[in-house]
Amino acid sequence: MLYKKKWPLFLFLVPGLLFLLIFLYIPFVENIKNSFYDMASVVKMPGQDFKFIGFDNYKRLFTDPDIRMAMVNTLKMMVLTVIFEVGIAFVLAVMVSQIKKFQQLFRTVYFFPVVISATAIGLLFKLFYNYNGGMLNQILEYFGKEPVLWLEPELAFIMICIPTLWSYIGFYFVILLTGLSDIPDDIYEAASIDGCSKFKQVFYITLPSLKPVFFTSVTLAVTGALKVFDLPWVLAPNGAPQGLTHFLGTYMYQTAYGLNNYDYASTQALLIVVLGVVVSKGVGALTADKEEKAEAKAKRAREKAKGVA
Amino acid sequence: MKKKVLSVLLVGAMTASLFAGCGSNAGETTGAAGGDAATTEEGGADADVAQNPVTLKTVSMFGGTDPNAEVYQAINNEIMAEYDYITIEDNSQSSDEEWKAAVNADFSVGNEPDVIQFFTDATADTIVATDKLVSIEEIRAEYPEYAADTLDSALAAAANTDGVERAVPTTGYWEGLYCNKDLFDQYGLELPTDWESMEKAITTFKENDIIPIACSLNNVPHYWIEFLMLYAAGADEYTSIPETAPEGWVAGLEMFKTLRDMGAFPADTDTVDDAYIGQLFRDKKAAMQLDGSWYAGNIEDTENTVVIAFPGVPNQKAEAGSLVGGISSGFYITRKAWEDPDKRDAAVKFVMAHTSQAGVQRYWEATGAVSQAAVEVTPVDGATPFAESIAAYTSGASAIVAPTDSRIGDAYKTLVAEIVKVSTGAMSAEDAINEALSLMQ
Repeated sequence: MLYKKKWPLFLFLVPGLLFLLIFLYIPFVENIKNSFYDMASVVKMPGQDFKFIGFDNYKRLFTDPDIRMAMVNTLKMMVLTVIFEVGIAFVLAVMVSQIKKFQQLFRTVYFFPVVISATAIGLLFKLFYNYNGGMLNQILEYFGKEPVLWLEPELAFIMICIPTLWSYIGFYFVILLTGLSDIPDDIYEAASIDGCSKFKQVFYITLPSLKPVFFTSVTLAVTGALKVFDLPWVLAPNGAPQGLTHFLGTYMYQTAYGLNNYDYASTQALLIVVLGVVVSKGVGALTADKEEKAEAKAKRAREKAKGVA
Repeated sequence: MKKKVLSVLLVGAMTASLFAGCGSNAGETTGAAGGDAATTEEGGADADVAQNPVTLKTVSMFGGTDPNAEVYQAINNEIMAEYDYITIEDNSQSSDEEWKAAVNADFSVGNEPDVIQFFTDATADTIVATDKLVSIEEIRAEYPEYAADTLDSALAAAANTDGVERAVPTTGYWEGLYCNKDLFDQYGLELPTDWESMEKAITTFKENDIIPIACSLNNVPHYWIEFLMLYAAGADEYTSIPETAPEGWVAGLEMFKTLRDMGAFPADTDTVDDAYIGQLFRDKKAAMQLDGSWYAGNIEDTENTVVIAFPGVPNQKAEAGSLVGGISSGFYITRKAWEDPDKRDAAVKFVMAHTSQAGVQRYWEATGAVSQAAVEVTPVDGATPFAESIAAYTSGASAIVAPTDSRIGDAYKTLVAEIVKVSTGAMSAEDAINEALSLMQ
């Protein structure tokens, strides 16, 4: 018992609670309320009344082709973040953990894009992709090739995903590398003495030992995909081209501040929150189940060993 | 005991800091310059009271990179130098959707400024409805010289949608077709005067790897929406506020697909922004650009760039030479300032300084002396061919009509957002217009 009296703790917790209440929970409830009204302006002016429209905005969610596109793109992004962000980060982390020289250099180099603002990266790639005088087309023209429209409808989603995924690999790289450093060296040494190759060590020691860190990374990556906004918005605003690269965040922003349709944007915001809760719970349930199974398996093995003894 | 007291103090301080930014300063009238205590007791309009320190909260669209910003700040400084009891707390910035929303929010919570330079069209409807803006008629009852230099026609053009004149304008605007005349000369083309010559110009430029029309359909297709609809529908139908898509509007917007199929727009028109498009035109990579008078200040090659009337569309109904333009902004005095005996006079002085003949002349010159001025201005010597072409264009206009967004408000944004789809054929022009108009009901 660190503290005998608990009430001072509550006193310290109250300001934080108040802060969240005022700046998060009350606006969130207000947001839900707004989704049921036709808002003529972002704030209610004196003497103005918003018309109650019931579930009209929710019905529109099911018929709006743009929200469908945004939803599909967001789900695709979730899958891609797990495969490419966590996957590549793992490969890099394993390789970097194997070297002693220049390890710090690689840590810094791979983590660097995370500290650059997404807006700056977006602008950078915008200059790369420009049709007239962009860096990629300059290279092509140097080799006598025709310039390519990098953000044409067929390519745009991939070209936007590349910097979005690339910029966050360093984040998971550092998490996984820290996880790797927690695995005791003697396990690897024992495996080496038993003749286990480095490649097999990754599958039989590293991967199973990293499971909790992996699950955390996957949860962060999947929920992070729901919040993708700034980089795609800078690179291809308004879901350009032709609304094909909208994510839930960008479409909600365009609806609210591009089209001034605040009530429909409120409905989309609620959808994002619900989706975020469902996805994180889903990933949590999936990983918790596996963790429990792994623990049970280990327990059974221990009991079996005792029985044999 | 000491720890308890310290705990309580810390919690109190943290809680208080939460609310620190929420305090209202409505009604603040103390002068920052003099550092005196508040001396704004109620009183008449005598000289003593007029000398009380006054802090005038002002907001305008003359901020950021706006060419008017420098003149605006200079006039503000001159006011403060001339009337040392007036302190101007200005919060100007370029207008965008977030800024408009912030202005609405300020009016809704009673935090409106004393003077605001804002739109006069449907954009202002929300704040006009709050009845927090004073009419010119009411101000003139006490200050007969108010807006005396401003032309009656300019005041009428700047009236709000309810017909009441509240704003005093400085300059107006026009929209027209900017052409790189040297490119037309290089390929032996005449400047387009009708759809046939326009078609020929587009085809010729396309064949010679020159972008015929610099336009970002994803970012700013506004000018093309306006002129295509105006010329296809005619002024009467164009200026109507319909419930469903009128035939002329549909025919106008269908031209986007025609132009796109002809290769008139840049290959990356779906993804680039307006700044990039402007650069293409100025770098002579594009031959034509439809834009407003605010763009004129960006033109460096004033010898080879001209502004001409929109050439037209097939089966057009508008008279040749019809122009989209008008006056859509002006200075308002809010009721909060008007009902404060000290601020009333300062607010009037502020607006009159900005909208007098001398003030407007400076704004007019700062924007290249090519816009429509709200007062009688003195012509500038040594006009360039570019400025001469604008003078010929605006003076020869057969009709001047305000753009659609001044009538249908936010619904226009939905129309703009669907233009790329209309241009590719993914959505019909009729559906796009109906979707936008349905938001008005």
